[in-house]
Amino acid sequence: MNREDFITQVEREQEAVRGFLLALCCGNKDEADDLAQDTFVKAYLSCAGYYDKGKFRSWLFKIAHNTFLSHKRSLKPTIIIDEIPIEALPKRESGEGASLDLYLTLATLPPKERSSITLFYLNGYSIKEIAAITDTSQDAVKQQLSRGREKLRAALKNYEL
Amino acid sequence: MNHDKDIEELFLAQKPHFDDSAEFMEKLTKRLDAVEFVKQYQERTLRRYRIVMVAAFVMGIICGGISIVWLQTSPFDMSFIDIQAPTAFLLWFARNSRVLVSVCLSALMIICTAAFVNNILDIMDMRARMSRLQ
Repeated sequence: MNREDFITQVEREQEAVRGFLLALCCGNKDEADDLAQDTFVKAYLSCAGYYDKGKFRSWLFKIAHNTFLSHKRSLKPTIIIDEIPIEALPKRESGEGASLDLYLTLATLPPKERSSITLFYLNGYSIKEIAAITDTSQDAVKQQLSRGREKLRAALKNYEL
Repeated sequence: MNHDKDIEELFLAQKPHFDDSAEFMEKLTKRLDAVEFVKQYQERTLRRYRIVMVAAFVMGIICGGISIVWLQTSPFDMSFIDIQAPTAFLLWFARNSRVLVSVCLSALMIICTAAFVNNILDIMDMRARMSRLQ
């Protein structure tokens, strides 16, 4: 794949990758965009070895997922704002029509569960595809989805109270 | 796997939309340009060092060979160093001083040639870059 082809493909896929990273970064747009830039640069550097035609988006998601995880690992534990308790989420005020903030809700999940849930609900991937993107078994993805779903339901319930 | 309606709606209602795609792509193109420049520079440097190493190797062999032949065929039938000590090692050292001096000379020549060729290539590269900037 040459540079022009790569840029054309990225132009098509960038919104999906940015949306995925935005969800993983719990709505922090600057952080998500920086990670998206890193993802595309990494993809560009290894696109010479990309032969699996037709799965470019999944390939980009895989790089984005790994970039996000290594970024999380590189952060000092004190500045990671992860897994906030469900009780800390805001509650619906009477008469208010707005829904619960998605990114705030996703922040209640650990990174791997957040990835699986986002890929499943936001990007519409199947369990098999998520397993390939996150380099885990299908059983592990099923577990992450089930746990994530439970936490999201609890968050929604907490919001409605 | 059952889909949970509420969760689906939560994701659907807040699907992200980006209106800065053009700026994002412009920034990315600039980063790719920078990456490409660094990649090309690394490739050039690697190629240059390979040439330097081959040139130094060939020059070292030629110069070393010439100096060994010259030292071995010179009319002096005596060692360079005369050590009056009875130690076996020192006696061996004195006997083979010509060969040892030749080896040291060759090594020195290799290093000198590598440094010399490298400097010349650096200057040429710098000149080429400067002329491109002008």
